[in-house]
Parts: sequence; C-alpha cells; structure tokens
Amino acid sequence: MRRQRKGAKLLAIILGLSLVAAACGGDDDDDGDEATQNTAEEAVQGGEFIDLGTFVGDPPEHIDPALNSTLDAYQVVNSLYDGLTDIDASDPENPEIVPQVAESFESNDDATVWTFTIRDGLTFSDGTPVLPSSFERAWNRASDPELAGDYSYLMNFIEGGAERLAGEADTLSGVVADDDAMTLEVTLSAPYSNFDAVAGFQLFFPMPEAVEELDNQADWENGLMIGNGPFMLETERTDQEIVLVPNPEWDGTKYDEAFGLPEQPYLDRLTFRVSADPDTSYNAFEAGEGMTAQIPPGRVEEARSNHDTTLDVHILGSYHFDINMTDPVLGGEDNKLLRQAISQAIDRDEINEAVYEGSREVSTGITPPGIPGFEEGICEYCAYDAEAAQEAFDEWTAAGNEITEPLRVQYNTGAGHENVVAIMIDNLSAIGIDAAEEPIDTETYFTQLADGACTICRAGWFADYPTYDNFMYDLYGSDAANGGNNYSQYSSEKFDDLVAQAKETTDPDEQASLFQEAEGVMLNDDIAAIPLNWYLGDYAYNGDEIANFTQTNFGLIIWETVSLKS
Amino acid sequence: MTSYIIRRLLLIIPTVFVALSFLFFLFFLLPGDPASLIAGGANRAIDQGVLDRINARYGLNDPIPVQFVHYWQRTIQWDLGESFLNRRSVNEILGERSINSIRLGIWAILIEIIVGIAVGLLAAIRRYSIADKLTTIITAGASAVPVFVLGFVLQYLFAVQPNKLGWPEWTKLRTSGLGPDTWTFFFIPTGEQWRYLILPAITLASVSTALLARMTRGSMLEVLRADYMRTARSKGLGERDVVIRHGLRNAMLPVVTLIGIDFGTVIGVAVLTETTFSWPGLGSEIVQAVGQRDLPVLLGLTLAVVLAYALINLVVDLSYAWFDPRIRLGEGENS
Repeated sequence: MRRQRKGAKLLAIILGLSLVAAACGGDDDDDGDEATQNTAEEAVQGGEFIDLGTFVGDPPEHIDPALNSTLDAYQVVNSLYDGLTDIDASDPENPEIVPQVAESFESNDDATVWTFTIRDGLTFSDGTPVLPSSFERAWNRASDPELAGDYSYLMNFIEGGAERLAGEADTLSGVVADDDAMTLEVTLSAPYSNFDAVAGFQLFFPMPEAVEELDNQADWENGLMIGNGPFMLETERTDQEIVLVPNPEWDGTKYDEAFGLPEQPYLDRLTFRVSADPDTSYNAFEAGEGMTAQIPPGRVEEARSNHDTTLDVHILGSYHFDINMTDPVLGGEDNKLLRQAISQAIDRDEINEAVYEGSREVSTGITPPGIPGFEEGICEYCAYDAEAAQEAFDEWTAAGNEITEPLRVQYNTGAGHENVVAIMIDNLSAIGIDAAEEPIDTETYFTQLADGACTICRAGWFADYPTYDNFMYDLYGSDAANGGNNYSQYSSEKFDDLVAQAKETTDPDEQASLFQEAEGVMLNDDIAAIPLNWYLGDYAYNGDEIANFTQTNFGLIIWETVSLKS
Repeated sequence: MTSYIIRRLLLIIPTVFVALSFLFFLFFLLPGDPASLIAGGANRAIDQGVLDRINARYGLNDPIPVQFVHYWQRTIQWDLGESFLNRRSVNEILGERSINSIRLGIWAILIEIIVGIAVGLLAAIRRYSIADKLTTIITAGASAVPVFVLGFVLQYLFAVQPNKLGWPEWTKLRTSGLGPDTWTFFFIPTGEQWRYLILPAITLASVSTALLARMTRGSMLEVLRADYMRTARSKGLGERDVVIRHGLRNAMLPVVTLIGIDFGTVIGVAVLTETTFSWPGLGSEIVQAVGQRDLPVLLGLTLAVVLAYALINLVVDLSYAWFDPRIRLGEGENS
C-alpha cells in the first residue's frame, strides 16, 4: 500500500526556526523523558479523542473499503469495518492470521477452495445481520468495473474475477454464499495458500443491503456509510474532519477472546482532523489541540525527547530505489556490474542518520522483518562498500562501457526525498559515476513510473497483509510490469516461477525458502532494486492523556482499544 | 457614470473568458491522465474498459475544442460541474469555501486598514522620530518574512508556548482549522471562534499591512508639504483637522488602490496562510485541485476568484471619485 503522506517542503527554514524558538523557549521541555507506560487499568470509558497525526496534507480521497488505497484512510476504514480474518501481531516476529467475522476457515489440500464459516449474531450498525451474502455482495461490488478501485485487481485471485473486472460477468463465479449454513465458499483462480491473509484486507470487507439502494456506488463514502466495525460515522465526512462514534451494534466480546477487545470502544467520539501541513499539525499537537501528531521530518529527535512516540514500532514497509531493467545503460545482463556498483556505493547508514535521524532501520533486502518467512541479509550488495563498488565500476568501464550522460535518480517532490537523493548522488560521484537528480511532481510520479519512466527511481511499499508475496509478486512479478507497481519493469522467468511455486506451497518453511530464493534472484542475480531502509512508526502522542496507543506493524492503530486517561 | 459602470461590467466578460480558457488549455498540457485519477488513483494498472467508460461519461474522449465548448455551455448557466475526485458539486464546494475565505479576508483587511493607516500616519507626522524609524524597520521586516514562517512563529509563541507553560485556557490561541464556525452578523466571531481566527487573520494581513503603512507614510509626507495644507493651517484650523480632513483624505488615493487590490489578493491567493493554518478557504482548495488534476474544481473556483477580483477593482475605481471629486469617471474617454 502506498502512503499518502507529504513531508515538509519548507523543512530547512522551519527547522532552523524551531531551533531558534526552542532556544528562546527556556527550560520547559524536559517533561517527556519519563516514558509513560500505558497499562490497560488506566483506561477510562468516554471522552473525545482528537487525532492530528493521520491526515496530514490532503483530506483522504476515499474511505470506501472498495476504493481506498492509502494507509492513512485505512485507519478510518478499519474502524468502520471488520473483516473475515484479522492479523494477530502479538508476536511481531510472527504475525498469525486468525478468524474474526469468520468463526473458522479452512482450505482444501491444494489451497484452491476456501470455506469461511461466518459467526452468528453479528450485525451492521443499521441492525441488519452480517451474513455470508454480505461478503458476496461486497465482493461483487468491489469487482464492478464501474466502481473499480486501485485494489480491485486483487479480485483476480478469485475464479471469475478477471471476467467480472473486464465487465464480461455480472457476478464473481467463484463465490458461493449460503446464508442458512452460514458458509462462504470461495474458489480461487489459482492455488494460493495465503488467501486467508488477503481475505481480511479492506477490499474484502462486508457490505450491508443498504448499499444496494444507491444509484451511484461512488456516493457510499460521501454519506453515512454503514459498517460492521467498532465505530460508525457520526456525520458525513468533510474535507476538514472525519468524526466517528461507537457503533452500538458492535460487541468486541463476540470475537475470540484472543483479540482482547472490549464490549464497546472506550472513546465516545473519535475525530480525525485534517491538517494541511505537517508542521502545523505538530504545532497544534504541542498546543494541546489534539492527542497525536505525525512527526515532521527533521524533528524526530525533538519529538523523541519531548513526547511519547511510536518510533519503536517496526512497520512492515520498505523504502528502496528501483532500477529500470530495460534501460540501455543500466539494464540487462551486461550492465549488472554497474548496478552492483551503484548499490554498493550508497551509504545507507549516512542516509538514515542524516535524513531520518535514525528513525528507520537500514535494510538488508526488500521484504521487512515481521513478514512470515523473512530472513536477515538476503541482499549481497546492499551493504556500503566503496571499494567493491569502485572495482565493479572499473570492471564495467574496462569492458568498454561508459556513461554518456548523467544517470537520472528520480523521486517525487515534497516528501523529503531530495535529501536522500543528494547523498546518493554524492556517493555515486565518489566512485566516478555521474548522476543527476530528477524531481517529479508527486501526483503524476507513480503514473509515470508505472508507464515505464523509471531509470533509478524512489519507491516505497507498505504491506497490505503479512505475506511475502505482497512484496514479491506485487512489486517485481512480471504481471505487475507495464502499468503495475513493478517500476523496474523486471521480468524474470526464474523469479516468476519461484513466486508461483511459493504461492501454491502450503508448508510454511518450504514456502519461506522459495520466496527467499526468489528475492535472492531479484536482488543478487539480477540487481533490480536498491533497498535502503525499513520504516518505523511515526506518530507522536501525549501519553499523559491517552492509554493503549500504539501502531501495529501495518501502521494501523486499533482505535477500539485506545482510551483516555481519567 | 452609469454607462461607465456598464462598460466596466461588460469588460469583465472577456477577462473571465480569457483567464479560464487559458487555464482550461493549460490543464491538458499537464502530465497525468484525469480518467485514471477518477478511476481511483495514479498508482495502479487500471482496466482499459474502465478508463473508456469514464472517458465517455465525462466526455474526456471528445476532442479538446468540443470539450471546451461544452465547458462554456455549462459554465454560463453557472453549472460548474462536479469534482473528478469525489463527485461533489463544485457549486457546493464553492459556496462552502468562499464564505470561509471572505470571513478571513474581511478581518485581514480590517487589520490592514486600521493598523496600516494608523501606523503610516503616525510615522509621517512624527517623521524621523523613533516611532518612525521603528515603523520603517518593522514594515520592511514584515514584508520580507515569508508568510509560512511568520505563521509558524505566531503558532509557536501564542499557542504552543502558553500550553507548555501551563497558562490559563483563555490565553491560548488555536493553530489550525476553522473552529466551531460560529459567527454573528456574518463576520463577527462568537464564542470560541475568535481564537481560531486571530492568528491566520494577522498572518494574512501582515504583508499587506506593512505595505499599506509604508504607502500611507509616503503619500502622507508628500501631502503634508502641499500648499493647501499650509493654507488650511493659516486659516487657523486645528492641527488634527488639518491632518485628518485635508491631509489624510488627499493621501488616500494610492492607499485605496492598494486596499482594493488586497481584497482580491486576500480572497484568491491566501494560499500559504490557509495552508499553514489549515483554514478551509478557496486558496487551499485551488492548490489541492491543481495537485489532484481536478479540473472542474480548479476552473470553478478560479472563476469565482477572477469575478471577485474584477468586481472589486471596479469598486476601487468608483471610490476614486469619492476621494477625489476632480476625477469624473467615464468622461473624457470619448472626447
């Protein structure tokens, strides 16, 4: 999932100013060091929570689960809806898929047919029951080509999904809902042993009958959307705020105890306020106007020492640069040495310290720790080694190759990437590789990359669900080239085969080693990407006022467990 | 006079037409495909069939000149279309946003007029005094400091600091958002509202207040040396009467022009202030629309701004006649 956040364009000036202001501010800023421990006993019922940390920049484009594609809006969507399955991340190293709205689920031996048994007695906020057909309805809707959101391609997993998305079928042929037996039987178009993880994703959230009454499905999110989650919309969303209140029909104790959910959310009201600028949002937070803020780039240390933060949470996301494998200078087998030189020349520690104040984790591959099957150190050329880089580059030039014009390092503007790219260009010029930055407007950046404009281009990816596949197939599978998220235009039969095999494999260890092998092929045999770092949490919050506030590895906040303190 | 007004009103039509047509064509030169944005974003492969249907629905398949004609057919009926992104009516967005812009603008202009003229006047009368020198320095500073920096500092001093130092609630000003949206007589903030309004209003007023003060000072200094001032004094008028009634009124002409222009500026281009304070006005919405390739919103809001600008200019020109009876609008042009 792509993140929709904007960084401070005015970073340097603001930073300088904040230093001055802090210096003038006297000695009042040491109240944050006693790291507040949140314990459940402090939770109190009631109160309004004002969030300033989620929507920074623009208001969310979509809050309809069928349309949304950003992590920010998923915070809202996830509070409004509960899915078939959820992720138990209590052991962050090994997240587990557990049934939620489904009471249980099972698949046949080759993972092509999945049967979900839906819990009795669950209702939507309008009082209508949550049935297997609620899911069927939602999935047919989400695969409707007239509505078709960014993630609708996931429906290709299901038999008949491709036809439905192409407008050739009215329903998904692979979905059979039996409301009497309370079962939902899903036939997949190909074996997929992680479908249980995918089935808990927002695109697959259920929909009530009320959605059918709309003339235009796109209006659903502009009205009082009805869901089955812990919260519901109090008023229609505006560009300034989204206000949620507890859904009286929801009862967290109906789910497995393992979730540890309360009967009702603790908060009486949850207001997501949209701020136009990260520094404003942070100021508002410091002025006591809300309980959370997104930490602006460049103010990490300040936030860490003055407030509670989620900087210790590992987010399942990767920050990397892709290399266009079809580029005449960079791509192909002949230029592998050049790609190796580039990757080894980049000082990832320096970038993490200088740009992110240590708020990231230097990565050793694309797939981050916390994804089942993760292994440390898959990438052989991802450690900074100027000498090896120099050798590789010299060997490449000795073979008669040369760089005739500066290599273009591309990034989307306004999100703080320019500082990363500046360091990269420095690093490259140190071994004699001539490179130049190419900033591209954020709004069209990803479209251009998808269309093949990448040379060396910045990319970032957050896990949608905890599968290795989500970082392999979605980012480097040949299906995702030409218009998808495979900006490298990487196309390797060997890689594709390994990923396809892994997807079919039901044995977790075997699956893991297949995925690792695939990642190794992409990073070491072909060098199609330059991993830089893995993300950490980025919320600052006021631990004196709120309890149980944390981000999951997916970056989500479980709002129904968050409460105010007395 | 009436014919002058009519002529000026008619002139607005080509102004608006040229401005919006320019924007319309410029939009199609920008990279980024609106159809794929409508389909749900810029980041995924979107089925060609979906794109085709959207293109057909919004008429994006038509040749650009045809789209252009359709656009104007709708616009002259004041149907501004609906947002590409969330399909909200642009007329509705415009209504909501412009009210916020106007309220913020009114207060910025009030601050500008009161502070700017008073300071300029004082500096002119007490020329070379400490107050005058301070005015020169502060106004130079205020027009040089970027709006977002000033906004940030004001937020820090008047909202963050009081909170950190634990000052009582009433001392804290608000940094962002519109607030409770409670007003009396359309523009007087009521209840908590003033706390949300005050910092953005000051920030928005800062640059123009500084300019106005300098303009008033300069213009006043010139007038103070004029012969009729000496005449007024020699007639035995009190100094206050001389300065206010004879001096200030004559010095007002360039000042009024500036205030008029600022009215337009304040409504249309309060982009930075609105962004810094998350004030939901026209400026911030226009910026968003540009970023998101939301053509109907962009054109609709621009139309409103251009219209407001043109009308205000007209009012300013008319006010010349009041300040300087020697000016007879519309005469002489035909001779």
